[in-house]
Amino acid sequence: MKNFLKKASLLYLPLLTILIYSCSKDDPDGINEEEFISNVVISVTSPDGSLQTIDWDLSETNMETINLKANSNYSVGLSFENRSDPTDIEDVTLEIIDEADEHQVFFEFADVSVDVTSANNDTKVGSRGVLLKSVWNASSTGSGIVRVYLIHQPTNFNATNREGFGGFNDVSIDIPVSITD
Amino acid sequence: MFRFVIQSLILIFSYGNFIYSQSCDLILKGEITDLHDNSLLIGAFVSIQGTNFFSQTDLDGSYKIKGLCPGKYNLVISHPKCISINKKLNIKQSRVYNLELEHHINELDEIIVTDSKISKLRKSIQEVSLNISDINSYGSNTLVEALNYIPGASILKTGNSIGKPIIHGMYGSRVGIITDDFRQYDQQWGPDHAPNIDFDSFDIIQLIKGAAALKYGGDTSAGSIILSSKRKKLKDTLFGKSSINIESNGRGGKFSSRLEKNYSNGFYINGNFTGKRYGDFNTPNHILSNSGFKEANFSIKLGKDLINKGWNLKYSSYNLEPGILKSSHIGNVQDLFYALNSNEPSIINDFTYNIEAPKQLAKHQKLTLRYFKSFENNTKLELGYNFQNNKRKEFDIRRGGRTEIPVVDLLLKTHTLNVSLSGIDIKNWDFELGINGFFQDNFSTPDTGVKRLIPDYIKFETGIYFLGNFQKNNSFLWEWGLRLDHVSYDSKKYYYKSVWNERNYNILFQGFETGQDFANQILTNPKFNYLNLSAQTGVSLNISNELKLKMSYILSQRAPNPSELFSDGLHHAMAAIEYGSLSIEPETSHKVLFSFSKNDKKYNWSLEPYISKTFGYIFIEPTGLKQTIRGAFPVWSYDSTEAFLTGIDINSSISINRRLMFDVGASYTYAQDVINKNPIILIPPLNTFQKLKFTPLKGKWSLEFTHQTSAKQNRFPNSNFIFDYIEDGKLVSETVDISDSPRGFQKLDAIFSILIGNKNNIRSNLRLIIQNITNSDYRDYLNRMRFYSSEIGRNFQIQLNFNY
Repeated sequence: MKNFLKKASLLYLPLLTILIYSCSKDDPDGINEEEFISNVVISVTSPDGSLQTIDWDLSETNMETINLKANSNYSVGLSFENRSDPTDIEDVTLEIIDEADEHQVFFEFADVSVDVTSANNDTKVGSRGVLLKSVWNASSTGSGIVRVYLIHQPTNFNATNREGFGGFNDVSIDIPVSITD
Repeated sequence: MFRFVIQSLILIFSYGNFIYSQSCDLILKGEITDLHDNSLLIGAFVSIQGTNFFSQTDLDGSYKIKGLCPGKYNLVISHPKCISINKKLNIKQSRVYNLELEHHINELDEIIVTDSKISKLRKSIQEVSLNISDINSYGSNTLVEALNYIPGASILKTGNSIGKPIIHGMYGSRVGIITDDFRQYDQQWGPDHAPNIDFDSFDIIQLIKGAAALKYGGDTSAGSIILSSKRKKLKDTLFGKSSINIESNGRGGKFSSRLEKNYSNGFYINGNFTGKRYGDFNTPNHILSNSGFKEANFSIKLGKDLINKGWNLKYSSYNLEPGILKSSHIGNVQDLFYALNSNEPSIINDFTYNIEAPKQLAKHQKLTLRYFKSFENNTKLELGYNFQNNKRKEFDIRRGGRTEIPVVDLLLKTHTLNVSLSGIDIKNWDFELGINGFFQDNFSTPDTGVKRLIPDYIKFETGIYFLGNFQKNNSFLWEWGLRLDHVSYDSKKYYYKSVWNERNYNILFQGFETGQDFANQILTNPKFNYLNLSAQTGVSLNISNELKLKMSYILSQRAPNPSELFSDGLHHAMAAIEYGSLSIEPETSHKVLFSFSKNDKKYNWSLEPYISKTFGYIFIEPTGLKQTIRGAFPVWSYDSTEAFLTGIDINSSISINRRLMFDVGASYTYAQDVINKNPIILIPPLNTFQKLKFTPLKGKWSLEFTHQTSAKQNRFPNSNFIFDYIEDGKLVSETVDISDSPRGFQKLDAIFSILIGNKNNIRSNLRLIIQNITNSDYRDYLNRMRFYSSEIGRNFQIQLNFNY
């Protein structure tokens, strides 16, 4: 029995080792999410030069409406930003311009009818405009929403609805639109 | 007439024991030696079944039975420290018959597999053992695929190359995987993380249904899978095996080779290598783009095994690079909705061997050092140390040239120390006690530029266990075990302040806040301590020679895993935001298992019902929608409930005649969330398995057909959600049905095997395998990629095996 106890005492060795080996984890570095898009900024310039800027972020408190007049050409500029670190604001639009060949912006309207064409100063891949800069023209009055998509690696660049593009959404946000005479 | 038939039948069946009334003066004698070191075995018992003839070996290890009549006999050779063996013998004249017995040295390593499936007598819990070579013969190329042939086990798949074992409806942290006497520690919490194990480097795979492997842990309430090697023979030998597999589906193959050198002084060294390479697989109708994989593994083991002491050192390296189906990379629920409504994947490219993002990269290195010593009184001391280094990277399609940078980059280091004392025999009792120490460090590199999926943490675990069994004779065994584990987490995690406050953690877990901030994130230091108790008790009864009854009760407690505690973010393939919960408590599970089995020469069957109740069962459920820049996402949160699971596994094997064998099995699981009155998600539907094997009497070939069916799972919780999209200038709402299960399916495979050479000690064997003969197009409820594609179609395999 004595011998047995002696053997059993061996079992406590690892327990001791573990107790001695007590340490704590170092503070990890914080990660600024690189690919994150926190804000979508839409600037709508009317034919008379007045500018409406809509800054969309996740707080959803500033759901501003895009106000358009029917049958007028509006210049619409789109930019994507990462402001998750206020001290280091990143313009993600530049990345999209760099990779224009695998990105496409698409505007899909509900309850309003707006014609969208690529602007002269738009980023182009061949004859295809990415629609970062576009011209909007509403044909009738009404109110509805526009769903703004940034599509990554679409399988088809010339679709008329979202399903037709394939690929996957990097951005999909809804903004109210109001069209008056 | 009827009576005559019965009598004739009795006469025919008792043929083996029939004793001729000729000159009954024959003598059977011989020596019994230990299989490993040729030492003589004293006190071994040799008896002839159905007679009173017996003999016990003397100091020279020899036995002698006199007065035998000529005839066929069934010899039973047993020894207190050995597994009993049966030998058939046709005695026409007096003869010398020497025998070798396998000494009990190591609990796990000693199993001699005589058939493809054996159930051990000595345990009160159901166990199924398979030979790895049998698994290979089914044409299975992953460990878990092989489990498909065991009722009660199934696979949770992510595509076709990533699989996790499911036992009795549970998976992940509830299933333990043990290799070389140590638990496997990779990132097993993830449903899309395959166990990082090269099963070709082992000989035997055992499945234990229930947390009965208390030696290795008490938290695996579903069960354990144990991989082990055969014991070495103490002879000067050099042997090995190699196999080459070529497959049509995936246009790839596998090569594996093993070489082993043993010396008579007990020293041995062996090495294993396995390489696999597959391109895109295909369903009956199209190519699964980016579904190929690469795998390369090797291991080396050396050691010295003697009867009373031994040591070994093993190093193994596992490297897997699987592609993830391209079309499963989706941006939001809208993409998921389109995928669900389409019959084929959205991206179908030409066949390629290239593996691009999305993909995974898993590297697992393992170092094991073991030592054992037996004392005169048969007690055995075992010491073991194990280090596992697991690197896991996941790549996604990213913007800004970041596709080459992984989105998940984890390094998990685990040290384990085991000490055990077994074979403590007091009268009819046998005891074992031991202690496990465990230290784990998880590091998640910040270089990913993506929020950490799993935070940095340190985990300590100490477990002590005490096992005992009482065996008075060969027909009754009572065993029990107790285990106590202490688990502690010390983690450092950044939470978005918005999430931290939204979940009320700023009030509930204020103590975890460190006061350090990073942009809009808060650094926290969650610390948890858990004390878990697990226990098991069971009896094994031999009602008759053929009929066996086993019953056991298992209590297990499991501390939440890092994913259940800390998950915090978007899960791409599921288009879901997943949240862990810091409030989750350990789960406690009670399980009762029964096993009735009958084994005779012609007809074997087993019935294994079970019932279990888990309090605080940790599960994930949909809890709403959350708006993100990519649109609205369903939110899934971990919570706990009360789970009730019951089911039955049925297995039967019939020798129709000497040429035809028929195996049939089925299993069913019923799982219910008792509190929410919902079925539990991802439970295997009713499935069956049958096999017909034809082997000609003296032929060198065999042909077998296997047929698997899986019913539609009609019990699933409703996780559907509503989403709206724009169609023809109108906003329309639609239900995204991610809950419904696919229809049932069946699958037919054929295997033709032929011995093509047996010269110069090289045995070579050729196998032709056709999987999914009918090229049936089906989806599997247990495949998480079922939303995106069907299962793979017909596959032709040529397999060449050499044993030397």
